[in-house]
Amino acid sequence: MIDKSRPAPIGRVVATELKPATPHQFHFWTAVETSIGIGAIVKVEEGVGRVVYGVVTDGFAYSDLQTPLHDVVGAEGDPVRAAESPTVRQEIRLWTAAVLRQVPEEPLQPVPLARVFVATDADVAQALRMDTYLTGAQPTGIPVGLYTSGGLEAPVYLDADFLLGPEAAHLNLSGVSGLATKTSAVEFLLASIFEHFPKHKGRVAAVCFNVKGPDLCFLDQPGALTDEDLRRYERLGVAPRPFERVRYFAPYKGDGVNLNTLRTHPDLVGDVEPLVWGLAEVLDFAEVLLNRDDIDAKADAFIDFLADRVLNREFDDPLAGRHRVETFADLDRLFRSIFDALELSGRGDMWRTHHVATIRKVRNRLSNVSTRCKGLVTDDGPASDLPWGRFEDRAVYVVDIANVDPLGQDLVFARVVSRLREGLERRELGVDAVVVFVDELNKYAPADGPDTYVKKMLLDISERGRYLGLVLFGAEQFRSQVHRRVVGNAGSQIYGRMDMDELATPAYQVLSPATKIKLATLPVGELMVRHPHFTQPIFVRFPRPPVLRGRDGVERFAPAADLPFAEAVARQLWRLDRAVRPNTVRDLVDGRDEQDVRRALAETRRRRPDDVLAYFRKVLGSRVAPDAARERAAVPPLGAITDEPY
Amino acid sequence: MARAWIEALLAAGVTPATFVPDASQGRFDQEPVERAAADVLEDAELATHAVSGAAGPPPAAFLDGIQQWRVVGYDGVVPIVRAYVAAAVRRRGVDKRLRTALEAAREFAVAPLAALGGEQRAALEAHIDVVDLPDLAPSQPGPVLEAARRAVDGARQTLERALAERALRLLGEREWLIVDGLLSVSGKLAAHPRALGVIKSFGTQFFEGEALRRALTLAMGQRTSVFRARGGHARNDVYSWYLRLWPWEGNDLLYGLLRIEARAAEETIAAAGGVSSWLLGERAPVSTPDARWDRLLYPIHDVETYLRSRAPRDFLPASGSRLPRTGT
Repeated sequence: MIDKSRPAPIGRVVATELKPATPHQFHFWTAVETSIGIGAIVKVEEGVGRVVYGVVTDGFAYSDLQTPLHDVVGAEGDPVRAAESPTVRQEIRLWTAAVLRQVPEEPLQPVPLARVFVATDADVAQALRMDTYLTGAQPTGIPVGLYTSGGLEAPVYLDADFLLGPEAAHLNLSGVSGLATKTSAVEFLLASIFEHFPKHKGRVAAVCFNVKGPDLCFLDQPGALTDEDLRRYERLGVAPRPFERVRYFAPYKGDGVNLNTLRTHPDLVGDVEPLVWGLAEVLDFAEVLLNRDDIDAKADAFIDFLADRVLNREFDDPLAGRHRVETFADLDRLFRSIFDALELSGRGDMWRTHHVATIRKVRNRLSNVSTRCKGLVTDDGPASDLPWGRFEDRAVYVVDIANVDPLGQDLVFARVVSRLREGLERRELGVDAVVVFVDELNKYAPADGPDTYVKKMLLDISERGRYLGLVLFGAEQFRSQVHRRVVGNAGSQIYGRMDMDELATPAYQVLSPATKIKLATLPVGELMVRHPHFTQPIFVRFPRPPVLRGRDGVERFAPAADLPFAEAVARQLWRLDRAVRPNTVRDLVDGRDEQDVRRALAETRRRRPDDVLAYFRKVLGSRVAPDAARERAAVPPLGAITDEPY
Repeated sequence: MARAWIEALLAAGVTPATFVPDASQGRFDQEPVERAAADVLEDAELATHAVSGAAGPPPAAFLDGIQQWRVVGYDGVVPIVRAYVAAAVRRRGVDKRLRTALEAAREFAVAPLAALGGEQRAALEAHIDVVDLPDLAPSQPGPVLEAARRAVDGARQTLERALAERALRLLGEREWLIVDGLLSVSGKLAAHPRALGVIKSFGTQFFEGEALRRALTLAMGQRTSVFRARGGHARNDVYSWYLRLWPWEGNDLLYGLLRIEARAAEETIAAAGGVSSWLLGERAPVSTPDARWDRLLYPIHDVETYLRSRAPRDFLPASGSRLPRTGT
């Protein structure tokens, strides 16, 4: 793997009083025709034993022309004649390089005025301090891409200890939209992590939130790779194959039976599991559902009361009666009882120290959830959730919330991440580390705006997740618009092509103008990487991800149209048991209340009985009769109004 | 090497000095002032010819030399000079870039050996090649330094001539050798069909009266008739003509004026127009910031720059203060 061929010197360090060589920066010239450019890694070698590695950060070209006017004079003002000059002027290619590493590191001295070489594979490993984690008994290198320059090509590795914890953790990706760079980079990096995550560090999985379009909907399908891609995969030691273990989760649409995802092609939709939550799942994260104005101590206290004293237990209240609250429907019945009882008893506006206005507000918000997040939240019936406690090693869990209401997205994110954190804290998730990939980070953790629950959660992951193995891979178009503590805590950073306006913000002051220009014009497949071991940003190229891109996926696997209710139910039961006949199901659900059918279907999915159809029939039959319409206890009418006060 | 022999001199009792005389940083560019005869060959009398538009140049190589010298010590009042001469031939490729084909350099000492003390002379001769300045009467340093200048100039010319003759053997079939200075100093150079001397100083006067006026008031893009230069400093027969590169009006009479030397042959007369045409094309790029840019062809300037970049740095004049420079 290591390229032993030794290149000829390509330049020489020069230093003047105005541009001296320092311990951190130096200048060198090369021939006019040179293969190096911005981002190239070079080696300065002085005799034996002293080597300095640097990365080119800027370049200059100039000739011995004293003033442009002299060129005009020489050409007599005619640009055509200027090109006809028999001799071209002496010109220089002068480069500025930032020091990556000096060997020996002490005493730290200015860079010697010595010969400059293009870095070889071994030099790149030394320059980026990769030798510290690529060698030894338990190497921890994760290939991130190929450094290419001057016809040389060297794999660049990230240190798993600094990418996935515990030394540092988290990855932040920035880049303009539409070039598929961010998503592609994450897909490739996840493949690389799954292949190279050291065994001694345990089991690892990834949870990816698909927040737009079909981006992450086809991770199990092979994508088109060129010969160049395959060569890069081989060079990086990563197998060019799609993820072997992928599980998809998506909420239902408003009809409660068709899945709200673009992975609905008949050949693929069978792998998508519904994501449906009930009251218990939602109530723990009620804060997510309340807007900033709602968050007050009274509402908090009442929600806590519901969670601690009411939910999933026999609740007996002298005023409201006896209740067992497991679903939104149960909760609504309790609320109605409270309101009716208060009105009828005329005992004032307080129920168990909670003001009726607070109760009404909480009821309004919680009840509203099933409307705004219809399909995700069921107001009655069992939940369907991620396999908590049974996460598999090297598996990807895609949670497709692309078409979910923003409130629902927040709820999903908050709950999933909280459960991940709990599971990792208790060491009962099934894996030792989880990579959470979130795109559009500027939406969930904006630099300004209110402190939402999701933002606080992202901050918490960023600052403490590495101790748990909870690793955030966040992506956004504009890094400057993401909360600085979220991006600041990302140990590794990847930049794709950047917008010039974005590069003009203070966050990029450390980059040279030439590096910014390169960033603004980066081709697809090239990235700039910052990593704790690298003292300077490094440009790398990575192959296309081994999976089907979202836009290609929806062309090859066109999403199916929504099925009629009965067909959709039949399709879902058929997935559980291939012996189920659609006609039988259609006959069963015909004329039944759709809510009953949904409940029966959810229960059947949850139980996964041996005889699916029989169980479905049983559950459906037991609830076929709709609940009797509850008499609304009206307030007694007042007597006729007369002029007589007594 | 310089440090070793200077230290030997100092050990022998020579007083150290760091004197860089004026005009010691380049070649002596002024021809000796003298009169010479000329036979006009191309016309009945010296005439002016318009040169057709600048033509594309043939393959060419360019030769120039430099000289640097400084006083490094005094034995009593006798100056001891350290000198450096170098010359190079740079060949122009098809990419229009100049690359060094040949180069040579020599470092030596110059001193009136007879005037030095025994120990000092022995120390000098033991460590470095010395050019003696014989027959100098004891005097103030001025005459010695003038003699030293001539000795250095001569050494440079010798080096250039040797290099030029080597370069002639390397020339391609259609390739020309352009020499900065007189072609007539070398028989081989003067006889070569594709060697040109480009002279930008005018110490030798070939004409007088109306012919002189015509020669020195050429308009831009004009040349004179070809003439045979006879006598003066020319040691070998050459043909010559004047060529104006830039308009002199508003500047100086000699502004942009060159004298060209070429082989003394009939073919030279026929080729003078064509050669002048491509020499006119050599005006660009201009060789600024050199003050002689109006007459200094850029490739010659390039050779000079190349040589200076490779010359020992301690020949440069010392800064005004003996204190080290600080800051920027």
